[in-house]
Amino acid sequence: MLERWKIPLLLSPALLLIAGLFLGGLFLGLIGSLGYMPLLGREELNLDAYRNILFSTGFYQSFLLTFYISLMSTIIASALAIGAALILRRHFIGRSVINFLFQLNLTVPHLVGAVGILYLFSQSGFFARLAFEFRLISGPSDFPAMIYDPLAIGIILQYVWKEVPFIGMILLANMQTFGHDYEAVSRTLGANRWQSFRFVLLPLVSPGLLAAALIVFAFTFGAYEIPALLGQSYPAALPVLAYQSFTDVDLNARPEALAMAMIIALLSAVMIFGYARLARRYMRS
Amino acid sequence: MTDVSLEKLTKAYPGQTRPAVNDVSMHIDGGSLTALLGPSACGKSTILKMIAGLLPPTSGDIRFARQSVLQLPPNRRDAVMVFQNHLLFPYMTVGENIGFGLKMRHEPKKDIDRAVGRMLELVQLEDMGTRKPNQLSGGQQQRVALARALILRPKILLLDEPFSNLDANLRLEMQQLLNSLHQELGTTMLFVTHDKEEAVGLSNKIALILNGTLRQYASATVLYGQPKDEDVARFFGARNFVPGKCGPGYFDCALGRFTLPESVSSTGRLLTFRPENIVVGGDNILENSFHATLASKQFLGSQTVLGLQKGDIFFEALLSPQIAEPLQEGSTVSVHLPQRSLWILG
Amino acid sequence: MLMQTNRHTENSRDGLSGPVWFSLILLVSWLVLPLIPLAIWSVSRSWYFPDIIPSAFSLRAWNYVFSSTSDVLPALGVTTLIALCATLLSVIIGLPAGRALGLYQFRGKALVELLILAPTIVPGIAVALGLHVVFLSLGLAGSYLGVLIVHLIPTLPYMVLVMAGVFANYNPDTEAQARSLGASAIQTFFYVTLPAILPGLLIGSLFTFLVSWSQYILTLLIGGGRVVTLPLLLFNFASAGRNDITGAISMIYILPGVVLLLLGARHLTGRSRAVESLRQI
Repeated sequence: MLERWKIPLLLSPALLLIAGLFLGGLFLGLIGSLGYMPLLGREELNLDAYRNILFSTGFYQSFLLTFYISLMSTIIASALAIGAALILRRHFIGRSVINFLFQLNLTVPHLVGAVGILYLFSQSGFFARLAFEFRLISGPSDFPAMIYDPLAIGIILQYVWKEVPFIGMILLANMQTFGHDYEAVSRTLGANRWQSFRFVLLPLVSPGLLAAALIVFAFTFGAYEIPALLGQSYPAALPVLAYQSFTDVDLNARPEALAMAMIIALLSAVMIFGYARLARRYMRS
Repeated sequence: MTDVSLEKLTKAYPGQTRPAVNDVSMHIDGGSLTALLGPSACGKSTILKMIAGLLPPTSGDIRFARQSVLQLPPNRRDAVMVFQNHLLFPYMTVGENIGFGLKMRHEPKKDIDRAVGRMLELVQLEDMGTRKPNQLSGGQQQRVALARALILRPKILLLDEPFSNLDANLRLEMQQLLNSLHQELGTTMLFVTHDKEEAVGLSNKIALILNGTLRQYASATVLYGQPKDEDVARFFGARNFVPGKCGPGYFDCALGRFTLPESVSSTGRLLTFRPENIVVGGDNILENSFHATLASKQFLGSQTVLGLQKGDIFFEALLSPQIAEPLQEGSTVSVHLPQRSLWILG
Repeated sequence: MLMQTNRHTENSRDGLSGPVWFSLILLVSWLVLPLIPLAIWSVSRSWYFPDIIPSAFSLRAWNYVFSSTSDVLPALGVTTLIALCATLLSVIIGLPAGRALGLYQFRGKALVELLILAPTIVPGIAVALGLHVVFLSLGLAGSYLGVLIVHLIPTLPYMVLVMAGVFANYNPDTEAQARSLGASAIQTFFYVTLPAILPGLLIGSLFTFLVSWSQYILTLLIGGGRVVTLPLLLFNFASAGRNDITGAISMIYILPGVVLLLLGARHLTGRSRAVESLRQI
């Protein structure tokens, strides 16, 4: 076996599979969104599906809703994760317990968390009952709607619940690489606690934080089961809308579903691009 | 020119049998360049961090110009620290790094730029202001770290093994730079090192720390010639220790009776003399002389080390290779210990 | 004069201040909070508004879950089997690829890394919708094999990335040493390579298992309702409002994660690559 062929040989099974399934799936989705449906005898490509959805208010509302959910979830989770990481990197009694809980959260599937949020925050859920107990409300309908509501509060809560430990652990690993020394230096140079955080620590962890945020954004944008369980039916999140269009009895809706899927893929491609740029900059410093 | 006092400074971590820093008291003169010397993990870095305010002491006091600073956070003590790892902020340019402290004080940009320019000249890095730290060599990075600290004209400059990461030649260069900066600026400087040559070459006074305790605080000459106890003596390379008994002005031991110099106290049970001070094979001088067997001879390049033996006592002498050349192994040689080279330990 | 220690100097070993402790307590409760009602629901018989705790307890949800007439146990079996097979396949295919990425530099490596990273960031729905028709025509839609294959999309890249990290810290000189001492290629693998990479391999496998374990949309689309895994069942019961059964299934569903954690918690911190891909779960 020639030395030259070693690397391609090691890589090819995995690359072939990924190229076949992943790239293949994307490609098929692309041509399907362009109207290619051989089963129905349609073999011409056209932009009808894209035209339809881009001119429909329903699509825009779904897109904006999904974007809003992803943006809020990512921002809130990132901010809380910074706070959590700042606390967790110090030594204190019970730190290992909290670390364990963080890691436990990482292993709990999103769906379970979503159901839990449902039982906590629905209008007949746990917090509603607490509010009733404390005479804050007189019935379930008085409790603010956080599930199936236009602000998608329940969905955002669920994403924040799951992504704070995720982003937090990445930040923590980052911070542990740098240690406390940079901040110690800045303190003796006259920076107070806030200046030390803003001018020294934050720039140091920003690349890692941003990379994690991009992953979270892409994920929340394309996730199906959480908005399916906790979200309004109209406007629905984009993945839900795509699924509904795909399983519609009218097969003409199928290219539109694929077009939506392509838009989701496009957005995540933008995220990947940004992530790759950040990873490279991080490696260099 | 701020002086620094440590009073009974102690740092004990829970669960440790011995405190990391144990009851250290010393007074550092304003404007001096002092070394905290000791082997690794002896507590010297901990002392430095307590002075900087990065670690709270378990007990004791730290005073700058007779005022206690314990209540002040590190950014208000005006005690700037330079670490072994230069810790230049990687995403800022060299100029931004140096100007960092002034920026934290909200100084106007023009003043900062001017001050940064002056510092760059002082550390001989005039054209490097716009470079990023990772584009500089190790020595240059450490110079930037020094500039970043000294631009603030701090009351005291603390250096934690600042040159340990550099190779030998670079280290000498940096030591000279530090010396000239010290002379130029007159800042009180305290640096930590495990290298006794560095401490001796650089500082006015040396504080020897062993196992968290201050063992002796004096000039290098004193530490070499008049160490307080055997541990201190051994740390500075003393090799020969002979037990015996003191009398008024003399010391009796297995090597004979030795007349002590007047400055040496006549109490103590251990005679010590440094290998480089022994005279071997010279003319017969009556006082403080005896005969010994030359057991071994080893050429080390610029010196020859002789292993000598009399009775049960083994001791070492360091001679210039030329003088040691004619001496034969196994022969009997005359040994003379000049009065001034003798020292008694408790 | 002796002075008291003061609060203003920093030390990472000192205690935390009041507001920090408060945030910490909040954080802890927040982390476990959603799991609590699930646990309680699984043993409740009737729990209506506005009761804070159930008015009647019973094990009927659990009885249902473990009974031979319900779909839960078969779903558990299916989910486990698919996850195990996906993990095994990912190891076999992913280990060599990870080795290549971790040990060697080569032209186009950045592109390869991008290709392997992409499936972990692009949402599954974008890929599965496209694959559906092809799988249908290949007879893979609605089959266990089809679901297994599509699970490989997130699991394989993840395993490759983990193994790349493992091999990046691996010294291949030990293999050269073994060969020069007379070991054959197979012997070298089993006696030198495998023991060295085993910890990383095991952790990566456990997490790959979890990636497959948590898949929903992939199974839903390609399985077509005929392949019923635990998450699908969970979703259905939750939507139907059968909270007690939902609670019981949830408890079973989070079990492997807890077990995995107890086995390998140590290795989680610092493995940023591995953690990054955990958002698949």
